[in-house]
Amino acid sequence: MKKIMAIVLASSMLVSLAGCSSSGSGSTATTAAAAETAAAADAGSASADAGSTDTSDRVLKIRKTQALISTNWEFIVNTEDMPVIWDQVFEGLYGLDEAGGGYCHDLAKDVSISDDGLVYTITLVDAVFQNGDPVTANDVVFSYNRAIESGRFNYATDMIDSVEAVDDSTVQFTLLYPYSAIDHTFYTVKISSEREVTELGDSYGTGPHTAGTGPYYVSAYDPAGNIVLKAHEDYWGGAPDIKTVEYVLITEDSAAVIAYENGEIDFMQNAPTTDWDSLVKASGENNAILKGNNIRSVYINYRSETNDGILANELVRKAICYAINKDAINNVVTNGLGVPTSEYIPSSYVETAPSADNFETYPYDPDKAIELLHEAGYTDEQLQAGVSVGTLTTYGAATGEKAKAAQVVQSNLEAVGLKCDIEVQDSSIISPRLHAFDYDLCIYGDSGNYDFNNIRQQVLVDGGYSVVDLSGDDSCVDYAKIQELLAAGIATTDISERAAIYLELWQMVADSATIYPYLHLPVAVVWSPAIDPGDGALSPTHYHIKTFSWK
Amino acid sequence: MHKYILKRIAFLIPTILGVVFIIYAIMNITPGNLGLAVLGAGATEQEIANYNHQVGYDLPFLQKYVNFLVNAVTKLDFGISYYTKQSVFAEVWPRFQLTIKLSLGGVFLAALIGVPLGIMAAVKQYSLLDTIPSVLSFFIAAIPSFVLGTVLLFVFALKLNLLPSYGINSWQSYIMPMVAIAIPPAAQNMRFTKSSMLEAIRQDYVRTARAKGAPERTVIWKHALRNALLPVVTQIGMSLGMLICGSVVVEKLFSLPGIGSLIIDRITYKDEPIIIAGTILISVCFTIIMLAVDLLYAFIDPRIRAKYSKAKE
Repeated sequence: MKKIMAIVLASSMLVSLAGCSSSGSGSTATTAAAAETAAAADAGSASADAGSTDTSDRVLKIRKTQALISTNWEFIVNTEDMPVIWDQVFEGLYGLDEAGGGYCHDLAKDVSISDDGLVYTITLVDAVFQNGDPVTANDVVFSYNRAIESGRFNYATDMIDSVEAVDDSTVQFTLLYPYSAIDHTFYTVKISSEREVTELGDSYGTGPHTAGTGPYYVSAYDPAGNIVLKAHEDYWGGAPDIKTVEYVLITEDSAAVIAYENGEIDFMQNAPTTDWDSLVKASGENNAILKGNNIRSVYINYRSETNDGILANELVRKAICYAINKDAINNVVTNGLGVPTSEYIPSSYVETAPSADNFETYPYDPDKAIELLHEAGYTDEQLQAGVSVGTLTTYGAATGEKAKAAQVVQSNLEAVGLKCDIEVQDSSIISPRLHAFDYDLCIYGDSGNYDFNNIRQQVLVDGGYSVVDLSGDDSCVDYAKIQELLAAGIATTDISERAAIYLELWQMVADSATIYPYLHLPVAVVWSPAIDPGDGALSPTHYHIKTFSWK
Repeated sequence: MHKYILKRIAFLIPTILGVVFIIYAIMNITPGNLGLAVLGAGATEQEIANYNHQVGYDLPFLQKYVNFLVNAVTKLDFGISYYTKQSVFAEVWPRFQLTIKLSLGGVFLAALIGVPLGIMAAVKQYSLLDTIPSVLSFFIAAIPSFVLGTVLLFVFALKLNLLPSYGINSWQSYIMPMVAIAIPPAAQNMRFTKSSMLEAIRQDYVRTARAKGAPERTVIWKHALRNALLPVVTQIGMSLGMLICGSVVVEKLFSLPGIGSLIIDRITYKDEPIIIAGTILISVCFTIIMLAVDLLYAFIDPRIRAKYSKAKE
């Protein structure tokens, strides 16, 4: 018996050693293994069969980190679900050219604008829904009316007075006031088949359907797991090369990395940057780090009553800004893969967003911070003891990127004599508090592909958007001037004129030291050697599978 | 005996009512706003209020509690998810089944590994067959499931490419998750069985059986093991309950759509119908398992059977 036990134990050790021994050589071997797996995989697998020319039965597998909540575009609220439903299944009148900046025409063929900027007349392309019905102006009117009635899209529809069908292929929008950022509305509202949506009734969105015009339709939907998309062969832009796409639910990052290295998934957007080195080795040249359009900022509530309203003092707020080390945050949070920034909206993705090169910001300068605190009346003794600026609030996981950034900020502030506590809770708890301005300092993220709405979200108090309250007679800025600039910006369609207006506006916000942008998060993308993602993969959020093809 | 079973089943009702009440109370006192979570920051306060009213989220929690109970009992209707608009039952039931399958498989595996090793360690005390499993069990019991799961993924999915790394596509998909959840309780089963067996082996009736010349196999299996099984059965029952409640880590690691991960996901969105239905299923299941363990006692231990028979007489 002892001999048997000894043999079993020895065998176990050998197996373990064999498993571990190849880990160092790792990635090249792994890539080869992945490629071999790909070649040997069955027709329905994630991987490509390099020797075959018939690609119709291949399935492109894409990782998803959480289950899709609905197949109805109107219910999609997170950037994880958007690329699936908003970008593959549905289309708006306009599309979003995220990587190139600005918008492009999707279902809109021609657009004419009245001289007063109030009436937009749009002719539709000759397209059919996935169910075979032609896309008509009535479908557009139906889709917009649904969006207007829903509370979700106020930010994009509250300037619309009416939407009317002029004829089968022409639709007319009348606005309440000139609105130069209407492009984003035309992108946001997706066009659905009136017939199918009406027929499906309350069940619309709870299962597969063919009510969109996008290059793919939902052919299978498990609310607990995977989604299968099939090519819309009559797509107006030409049938996509990849015929079947399966989004597979892999919640855990380490499991996703293994699945990629193992050839079980073909494409991963937002790949974990903690494993980036191994992913780079495994993917060869098939990877990219993109500058995310989601900008993280520290918000400073100048109306906080903490410590006798210390944050009302502009010198203290500016000292906080000078004290924060963006490079340190970037290293801690993203291993240096992110891009430190001073921009409120990414200028490379939004035509009218001013570049930070053009306005004055706060470079990391702890000496300057201490000087400002002295100027504000704080002595060295007080700073050595630590002057409280309250609590730094943020949301997400306790070990998430915002929580990590909060720790760096806390440490930066401590270095100049300011102290703060950190509070991290779930977004469902924290978000309402931030929008009610119930905080001292907070870390908040905002994605910006569209100028006016992002600005409104950040500085204009209306409809519960804002995280900082710049309105009122006791505002720390000239709020009337901000409103004036916003009104001027939204009233002109001239890009350079708007950029100049928004430059002045952002300089005012920067001067107030109430919003301190610090980082573009990185978006890591890897794909299988079996596919050519075209230009579609190189978008930080909204990739398009219609540009992908099998090699 | 029947009376005992009925009494235990009847006890389920106040337990479930209590669990639902506690969940509703907790959901009510925790901050957050469903309308805001669903509609986003762009919605006006009025629209958020309208949405909350439309789905019944703004009702007083006692009213929500009573409404839920009435609908669940009279119509078997657990409602509609606030978030996905799917039927709660349609969302929860398949996930619950998966968790049950996983947990039952894990417990079976844990018993299959732990109990024989425990018996062997007790019977061959102080030999290598005792020392090695005992030492290993100490280490293994201390390894969290997610660490074990990650190691399994690394070896069997990545290095050996024998098993799929995520999801449930075939019977093979169950192997790693089941092993990951089975190993720590297997170690505990081994230790329980060993200590219980050692105690039983030293009892007078075992000595008597040996003295009467009963073969060693009969002594171990018939006299010692049967008496030693009582605490082991309790341990196995408890571990099944714990696995149902705690398999969420393994579900997340292997991307399995189980009930635990569903509840965790929906807590963020305050999706009360899903959270409550899922919690109730888990609570009922846990209570039933404990009942089954109690009943199993009666079958294993003739003294308990005799006690109830005597009471009946």
